[in-house]
Amino acid sequence: MAHNFRTDVAIDWCPGCGDFGILTALTQAFTELNLDPKNLAMISGIGCSGKTPHYINAAGMHTLHGRGIPFATGIKLANPNLKVVLTGGDGDLLSIGAGHFVAEGRRNTGITVVLFDNQVYGLTKGQAAPTMALGMQTKSLTRPNVFGQVNPVSLALASGYTFVARGFSFDTKQLKEIIKRSIMHDGSSLIDVLQPCPTYNNINTMEVYRQKVYKLEDDKTWNPTVNESNLDHFEEIYQKAFIKALEMDKRIPTGVFFENNTVPSFPRRLNEHVKDYLKSPPALQAVEKKGISLVDPANTFEDKILQ
Amino acid sequence: MENVDLSIVIGGPQGGGIDTASNMISKAFAYSGYNVISVREFHSNIKGRHSYVHLRVKNSQVRSLKYPVDILVALDPDTIFEHHEDISKGTRVLYDSDFETSELSQARMIMRDTSRRIKEMLEAGGHPLNIKGVLEYMRAKGAVPIPVSFGNVVSAAVSDGTPTRYFNTFGAAVTLAVLGIEKNYVEKVIRSVFGNKEKVIAPNIKVVDAAYDYCSKNNLRLKTLADLEMGKKMLLTGNDGSAIGKVIGGLRFQTYYPITPASDESTILEEHEDIKWIDGENSNLITGGVTVVQAEDEISAVNMASGAAMTGTRSATATSGPGFSLMAEAISFAGMDEIPLVVTLYQRGGPSTGLPTRNGQSDLLFALHTGHGEFPRMVISSGDVQECIADSIRALNYAQRYQLPVIHLIDKNLANTTELIDAPDIKDLKIEGPVKSDGKDSFSRFTLDTKDGISPIGYFGKDIFWLTGDEHDEKGHVTEDTWMRDRQMEKRFHKIETAEKEIPVSDMALLFGPSSADVTFMTWGSQKGVMLDVIENLKSKGIKANLLYIKMFDPFPSKYVSEVLNKAKTVIGVESNMTAQACKVIKMNTGISIENLILKYNGRHVTEDEVFDAALRIIKKKEKVVVLENGA
Repeated sequence: MAHNFRTDVAIDWCPGCGDFGILTALTQAFTELNLDPKNLAMISGIGCSGKTPHYINAAGMHTLHGRGIPFATGIKLANPNLKVVLTGGDGDLLSIGAGHFVAEGRRNTGITVVLFDNQVYGLTKGQAAPTMALGMQTKSLTRPNVFGQVNPVSLALASGYTFVARGFSFDTKQLKEIIKRSIMHDGSSLIDVLQPCPTYNNINTMEVYRQKVYKLEDDKTWNPTVNESNLDHFEEIYQKAFIKALEMDKRIPTGVFFENNTVPSFPRRLNEHVKDYLKSPPALQAVEKKGISLVDPANTFEDKILQ
Repeated sequence: MENVDLSIVIGGPQGGGIDTASNMISKAFAYSGYNVISVREFHSNIKGRHSYVHLRVKNSQVRSLKYPVDILVALDPDTIFEHHEDISKGTRVLYDSDFETSELSQARMIMRDTSRRIKEMLEAGGHPLNIKGVLEYMRAKGAVPIPVSFGNVVSAAVSDGTPTRYFNTFGAAVTLAVLGIEKNYVEKVIRSVFGNKEKVIAPNIKVVDAAYDYCSKNNLRLKTLADLEMGKKMLLTGNDGSAIGKVIGGLRFQTYYPITPASDESTILEEHEDIKWIDGENSNLITGGVTVVQAEDEISAVNMASGAAMTGTRSATATSGPGFSLMAEAISFAGMDEIPLVVTLYQRGGPSTGLPTRNGQSDLLFALHTGHGEFPRMVISSGDVQECIADSIRALNYAQRYQLPVIHLIDKNLANTTELIDAPDIKDLKIEGPVKSDGKDSFSRFTLDTKDGISPIGYFGKDIFWLTGDEHDEKGHVTEDTWMRDRQMEKRFHKIETAEKEIPVSDMALLFGPSSADVTFMTWGSQKGVMLDVIENLKSKGIKANLLYIKMFDPFPSKYVSEVLNKAKTVIGVESNMTAQACKVIKMNTGISIENLILKYNGRHVTEDEVFDAALRIIKKKEKVVVLENGA
């Protein structure tokens, strides 16, 4: 029987929250990929998105505000055989955790970052998040937003993520397919998920998004993928991804913006330097036998011995 | 046998090869069978500012440094200016004769206030404000300046047009020649220091020859040191010791963000990431190395290590004060989620950026209280290189056994102290493993069903479990239930009671010297060796002294420390900070106040002579607090 990826923990998101759609897409993707739940690590930061791992029947770590990426990276690098999926909010990933978000692009560790993008800090009562536009005033704000808006897709593209996509929480079918592709991608992924916050974001509601979103893949000529075979077209594909990423006003594209299969993942880079890293990653190495170390210090640190 | 006890300072501009020169001197003495210790002092600067190495050589155990020195080697004029107080009758001051025209006002790399103080000293003695003036001052104190034309001698030996490149080798070789080390050892050292680079070795050996010829022609040799036996020795810094201990102790994942004086440890690990496994029946099956990751900041570094730890990998990070401040929230998380995390905290002079390349012991109370909320942790401290090795292994063991953050304190002085030690024998260094999950589906990461507070640990890749920074139930899901909150808090702290029962007191605190004494010193960290020498030396003044040396601050050996201090007559605390932090910890845990203090917070290493003098001021003149000021 297929593993049930849902736990019996009571879900305490608000009725109508976009998070439900993301949770559904995630568990369906895991089921369809037939993932071993023990080889899946669900990581999150703080906020409504942070609760996600508790609702998923796989090993989970609900960490600190903004720090999901470092935890996820540590897990993936200690055992690259694991599938590591991170759920984080817009404040979590793009404000307090923005430094890690950019660094993860540079690393390309091989984790899937699912960004719960509702433009507000829900759990702390609706403050403006980094994805909210300048001047926008949702009902819980005392004055219009005085910060400018960051664009998660273009930031991910600029940072070096090798799989960059956008989903909409009320299109779980498309989102599920994007998640599946990202999990199978050998490199780090960013999936920006547009979602309403029915309690605090009265401007960008489900209905508003429904009218604006369109699918990139509906254009049959759309090809976001760079492989060794079409590497000559890298610049063109990368530039097109940016142009699409900047389309944020009247219509908002969803789907895969960019996929680059030619950049080695961080585990592959480490394998060039650390002996047998992929074959024998840190988590799978023996360290002792009957309490005695398996390392020969006289040999490993031979250069420090005076002969 | 004649008692050999030589102190040396070799100084020069940062980036001018002082480390190499000091390494040559240390190795040459080691090859000749002598014990040697040295510490590196440097500015937060890449090139130009004054740096020096203070060394001491003995034919018996050497564990502290002292002033004045027997030989001062100046590879730049600043060294002469800066170290004018570190000499006494008979000190040989070896310098490049070109320096004699240097004016103090031209020495722009000397800190302004240092320059002002030198100027005041020279003016008070009626000396000119230049190198000649300082040499006059030194001569008046009985020092013997030895001018050598570095440029001429080196140019004659090596004609590649860049004589200054060899000034450090030349300085080291002259030092060794003056002190009577056989030339063949120095040549051996050149080969060892420069590896297989024949192109570099050949000219350096010519420079060594020239130095020895010069000293012999000018009768500069002070003595001839007898050859002694050398065992299987390693020349290691505290940074090296910590790195070696970690690898022996099973570390396979280390993270860091660059910071002085911690990042050297991570660089050493990276250089030795290729593990050589013990030959055994299955040796051909064992492969792999140590993974070292430079993170984007310290927050990332510590949390990556926590993540990796939950895959069953022994993981650690290393940092210094400013980075450790950033780790506070993560350490609280590791406490809450019972993560086996090791943080090696290299203490430097604070607050803030403080004295980034200088010594300090001002982070003890911070280490004990880092992070919000109440959670169990362990805080241990090392006092010499041998301890750095053993304590790194202990830190990893404790983290595994008790599933909590372990903070390992090493001060900058120890990090940059080089000692000659016996190669470690892994049979003496036991590795302890964790209590692991049974792998069943019913696994509860935070089960309350334990006798000792230790719930079996589960790992990503092996078990299904949940972790959260929120208070949690046995499965690891968020709870705000009052009963479960109480039980989980109690379970976490129960581990500390277990640790207190299991860890021998001798791993927490030690008493050196006679069990009863007139004076009891209390210290921790890198003053250990200094204090051991001081209590020996006080015997010559008819003072019976012993030393309470503390190695573990949390859990604290309250009962033992109380017993020792209740028996003690005069107690003197010796620390490298301003507020006597270890004394405060003792007061907090035992109620006992330590009234007499020897403190140092100028960032420089504590030396034997200054503590000895300070101790006499307290013992004989009944002073309460003495602040140490040695060091350029």
